[in-house]
Amino acid sequence: MKVRKYCRFLLSALILVLCLSIAAGCSQKTGAGKEPVEKVLSIGYDRDAEILDTIKTAWYSDALIYIHDRLITRDYEFGYKPGLAEKWDVSDDGLTWTFYLRKGVKFHDGTDFTAEDVKWTIDTIKNPDTGSPFRGDLEAIKEVNIIDDYTVEFVLNYPFPNLLYNLSATASGIHPANAYEKYGDDYGKKIVIGTGPFKFQEWIPGDKLVIVKNEEYNWGPEWMSNRGPALIDKIVLKTIPDENSRVMELEVGGIQILRNVPEAHVEKLDNLPDITVYKEEATKLGYLAYATDKEPFSDVRVRRAINHALNREEIIQFVFRGYGEVAYGYLPPALKDEYLQESKDLAYEYNPEKARQLLAEAGYPNGFETTISADNSSKSSKLAEIIQNQLKAVNINARIQLYDSASYTDMLKEGKQELFIREYSWSNADILDWFLLSKQFPYPNHSRWVDDKTDELITFAAQRPTWDERAEAYKEVQRYLIDQAVWAPIYIPKQMIAVRKEVKNFKYHPWMLQYNDGFDLVVE
Amino acid sequence: MLKFIAKRLVLMVPVIILMTIIVFSIFYFAPGDPVSRIAGPNVTPEVYESIRQKYGLDQPFFVQYLRFVKSVLKGDLGISILQDRPVIEMIRERLPVTLQIGLLGFVITFIIAIPAGVAAAVKQNTIIDYLCMSGTLVGTAIPTFWLGMLLLYVFAYKLRWFPISGDGTIRQLFLPGLAIGLTNAAITARMVRSSMLDVLRQDYIRTARSKGLYEKVVIYRHALKNALIPVITIMGLRLGWIIGGSVALEIIFSIPGLGRLMVDSILSRDYPVVQGAMIILTSSIILANILADILYAIVDPRIRYS
Repeated sequence: MKVRKYCRFLLSALILVLCLSIAAGCSQKTGAGKEPVEKVLSIGYDRDAEILDTIKTAWYSDALIYIHDRLITRDYEFGYKPGLAEKWDVSDDGLTWTFYLRKGVKFHDGTDFTAEDVKWTIDTIKNPDTGSPFRGDLEAIKEVNIIDDYTVEFVLNYPFPNLLYNLSATASGIHPANAYEKYGDDYGKKIVIGTGPFKFQEWIPGDKLVIVKNEEYNWGPEWMSNRGPALIDKIVLKTIPDENSRVMELEVGGIQILRNVPEAHVEKLDNLPDITVYKEEATKLGYLAYATDKEPFSDVRVRRAINHALNREEIIQFVFRGYGEVAYGYLPPALKDEYLQESKDLAYEYNPEKARQLLAEAGYPNGFETTISADNSSKSSKLAEIIQNQLKAVNINARIQLYDSASYTDMLKEGKQELFIREYSWSNADILDWFLLSKQFPYPNHSRWVDDKTDELITFAAQRPTWDERAEAYKEVQRYLIDQAVWAPIYIPKQMIAVRKEVKNFKYHPWMLQYNDGFDLVVE
Repeated sequence: MLKFIAKRLVLMVPVIILMTIIVFSIFYFAPGDPVSRIAGPNVTPEVYESIRQKYGLDQPFFVQYLRFVKSVLKGDLGISILQDRPVIEMIRERLPVTLQIGLLGFVITFIIAIPAGVAAAVKQNTIIDYLCMSGTLVGTAIPTFWLGMLLLYVFAYKLRWFPISGDGTIRQLFLPGLAIGLTNAAITARMVRSSMLDVLRQDYIRTARSKGLYEKVVIYRHALKNALIPVITIMGLRLGWIIGGSVALEIIFSIPGLGRLMVDSILSRDYPVVQGAMIILTSSIILANILADILYAIVDPRIRYS
């Protein structure tokens, strides 16, 4: 008797709890009262932040972009414009850069921004004991000197116009001087201080990161229409690891913006009245690479043949449902200054007949066997599949081998690859240095390309004294690479951003959405 | 009894040691290393080496292992390579949610399985029995994560009764807890039923009935109590399975739990976190089994551990 009554009681208790939670949820949604409601923008991410310190982390959470300002910014045309530095001069020999800093800028902890903070940030990054992953990028800087409170001098080891790029990167966010001493071990975990339009509020690892508007902010760069405080009160960066859950959250309004919409969902989302999907050109490039020091890929004819064997339009249709562009060269066209416009004309068109002919010339009239390596994401495995198919048509029989990302890196370092699939995401021509200089052999030069002419061309380009000369010189590099068919470039993916109608004044920025530049939220 | 508990606790130690050796070895010999992940792209060989030295990754196997054992004994589970934070802190943040979901699952299991199993046993070979048994068949066949996705789709996405991703409230725990509870209830209900059938055949049940006791008293006070004994033992063993199932659910429901932390850390080769989490998990499972054995002894006066 008693046991049964107890079971009944338990059951009713459970039902009661269930009802209460639903009721609680319903009341939340119908809204409470007429006081000004906080404007909270929620964005969905598939990954969480690791360390909230731009100096020490190798993976930059988007939040860090809004918490810090940088000396140099990039505007909507991707050009380099003043940021925390109002202007700068470069000496004739290209070795001394003098930055004139903006006055009246304050950090989130109330202290003033001065030259000392710039020096501390750069010195800390360059200090080997800090262990900053960004250290190598600032190799060109010999030393930073404080001329006065608002003037800083960078002395370089060699002319390096690419400093513009590095000083505008997330990694160059300016920190308050001696932050590590002042805030100790908590810095980068529980405390982050910058001068940016948003302040760090809290981080629940694995769950969400919250930043709030900086009311004092009124030093936005000149190219922004809103140089003052943001209109949005709070931004929540939610970690939602499952792709489908992210899309569902967007549909019900749990998040308002979703970057990197999976291709399978784009059409459905676009057709919803509440949601718009912006499709922009990403600064990414996907390619099929060769281990160029191994037969048969050491023969340029074979490399060209494979380029001819690939039907890139078909690949983009199959893997990306058409959301992408063919990559003809080695850089994304979005890099307007550096991209070689003739890439399309110089590239190897789809021509299986020519491919077979070239293979025969190179001594492989009956084709050959090889392996295609890739990581185990669904995108890469689809790419591998269709490439395997297309290569079969020219008698190249490839088996596919997939790896998880850590094992893939390891395998590439050991050099076991033959044909392999990669994608890079980078908005600067120096990505070519990264992958193809002989000193980068065997990793990250996983193409194993050791070539004097390439080294010569790239080193020449990297050391041009001005930005324009540098851009021109990199075009020569691209011309040569296309001719040598070092890679088989395949696609430039589209960056797809889904935005709910509650978000007003959405403006696409090629680097990162500038939420303080007029973005507003209509809260019902 | 106390001696029994003490003995079991002592036996816990070699199991944990063996487990840590296994986990350690797996990471030592597996391809992929965390250093390249945190050192970033532009790292020179010297910097790479200095980071390896900082985490003692350049030492031979046994040196690294002994260092690890020493720090664990001091209560320090190490520092996460990826987040540069104490592992204990990270686990402490994530453990409660996973435990809450597991507990909710357990509660739901019992609420459903016991009445269902009893009804099926008492009304054996009637429509109730067949309904219950088909239900459990479905429940056993359905993977927990699939049920989770289904619940998410229907109750969170379509009906909006629950949040799709974690919103920090209790409501986010209900659907994953239900997913675990339902699939686990299927297996438990079968156990309850077969155990009850066994018990109901016993002589002492016939005696109770012939004494004139109400049928309800016979079933619940006499039969059920004895039938639950094997069920309790099984539940203790199921704990590990429940925690395993929670990993997929934590990903689907975007819950910052221990399961997800483990998977993420394995994929990024952050082995201090994995080691720390494994130690906590293994200890919990062993403790849960000890608890089950103690309950067993309490419920069944015939069992005495001397």
